[in-house]
Amino acid sequence: MSIKGKAAIVGYGETEFLKRNPGDRSNYTEYCRAAKLAIEDAGLTKDDIDGLISIYPLDEEPTWTEDLQEYLQLHPRFLDNVYRGGASGNAAILYGAAALAGGLCNNILIVAGSVMDPKRIYEFGLETGTAFERDFDSIYGPMFNNSAYAMIKRRYMHEFNATDDQFAHVVINARYHASKFPNALLKKQVTVDDVLDSRLICDPLHLFEIVMPCVGGCALVMTTAERAKDTKNSPVYLLGGGQQFDRGLWNPAYGYERSLTTSPVKLAAKYAFEMSGLGITDMDFVELYDCYTITVVISLEDIGWCEKGEGAAYVEETDLTYKGDMPLNTDGGQLGRGQPNPGIHLMHSIEAARQLMGRAGDLQVEGATFGLSNGNGGSMADQCTLIFGNEIP
Amino acid sequence: MSTEIEYTKPLPTIEPETEEYWKAAKRHELFLQRCNACGEVIHFPRVMCYRCLSEDLGWFKSTGIGSVYSFTIIHQVAHLGFESEVPYVYAIIDLDDGARMISNVVNIDPSAVEVGMRVQVTFDDVTPEISIPKFEPIS
Ligand SMILES: [Zn+2]
Repeated sequence: MSIKGKAAIVGYGETEFLKRNPGDRSNYTEYCRAAKLAIEDAGLTKDDIDGLISIYPLDEEPTWTEDLQEYLQLHPRFLDNVYRGGASGNAAILYGAAALAGGLCNNILIVAGSVMDPKRIYEFGLETGTAFERDFDSIYGPMFNNSAYAMIKRRYMHEFNATDDQFAHVVINARYHASKFPNALLKKQVTVDDVLDSRLICDPLHLFEIVMPCVGGCALVMTTAERAKDTKNSPVYLLGGGQQFDRGLWNPAYGYERSLTTSPVKLAAKYAFEMSGLGITDMDFVELYDCYTITVVISLEDIGWCEKGEGAAYVEETDLTYKGDMPLNTDGGQLGRGQPNPGIHLMHSIEAARQLMGRAGDLQVEGATFGLSNGNGGSMADQCTLIFGNEIP
Repeated sequence: MSTEIEYTKPLPTIEPETEEYWKAAKRHELFLQRCNACGEVIHFPRVMCYRCLSEDLGWFKSTGIGSVYSFTIIHQVAHLGFESEVPYVYAIIDLDDGARMISNVVNIDPSAVEVGMRVQVTFDDVTPEISIPKFEPIS
């Protein structure tokens, strides 16, 4: 049995992203407002929601989903709390689809958000690492994901003779799309020089190659394929999903002689394609988790858009815009929009839904039928690849 | 009269499974675990072999020699204790003995560090109880 085509996204909502909390935003404002927008967008009422998954904010307890259920007086018969780092959003969609396909609920709300101060995120990393991370990593002064991905990028550049100029094209594309996307924070377009002139945070990662944490909330509503026939929006079916977990969540020194430049995306994407029955050439666009430039380059290779080692040249030579050969991160992604970290990571799949519902406005990929979204967490440790379509092949 | 400077960076906690490691480090020896059942070399210390799930693990002294698998030069810190160190090298070291570990590469200009560089362990006596293994270019 497969869950291919058994569930569909029928509504979504996002709050306005902000660089800083002006003081009147809280985890409750972000989760509740995004939830309301998504329920309304789906043409449903609160009482239609009988399933709830939230990705809890790092500054709350894992009991957050139940708190939210109580706060909104929801009465779900399916409830879960998902945390897989940046793969959380996609994992929640995959589990939500499985719950719908298995008859555990009919309409599921999936919601995530953050108002966390960027500085607090690093404090959080220092406080909450496991004992072995504190004892065998934190004593050496990591900058958590920044230093982990910097080492992945350094190793990649070493193995494949890739250059900083090439990586800059990921940022250029993100900012180009962000400049046209309403709810994006980094709308100023950049050049290769702008990226390379931005200050080094963890060499070889420059400031513009690193996501900017921000405030925001995202939610979506999924329903069964049968119910989706009658909904307000045209349904976006989940056609394939795959996950793979490997490596350490923070600590990238995982396993002797293990490659840092080939990631678990490879298997996650393989499983997703297998379930969908589709191939890479069927994809009309791709929404990749882009916490750093290097994440995009390695994900592209491991999903199969190009050979291992060719990703940096690929992003330099390919038209990645919404009207190009391989539209990538058509809303600007996190590098263009900001990252309401942690837990917000529904935005890539929401953009996939936006494209497949034909609601992407100026950034619409013409004739988009199938698209891929990838969620990535830890030091490329947690992966969840999803394939969506506005038809079931 | 000597003035003791307070160590403001994070320190390891000594757990039952890591005690031997830190005792050895105090003696300026880098200890690794080896699984007596399957031979796997293990770092960081554990109670169970991740390869064969045996709990029959022993210790051996590493040569402390290895190569830089990758590294970053950190310019902006997460923990304020490291602020006076920037820029400093945070690295993954592949030990010739068959283990991978996070460490710092020290006693070298950060801009001279390279992937593949051969390094040897050196110990930083940070408190009377704790010595932290770091790496320096092989002299
Ligand atoms: Zn063993």
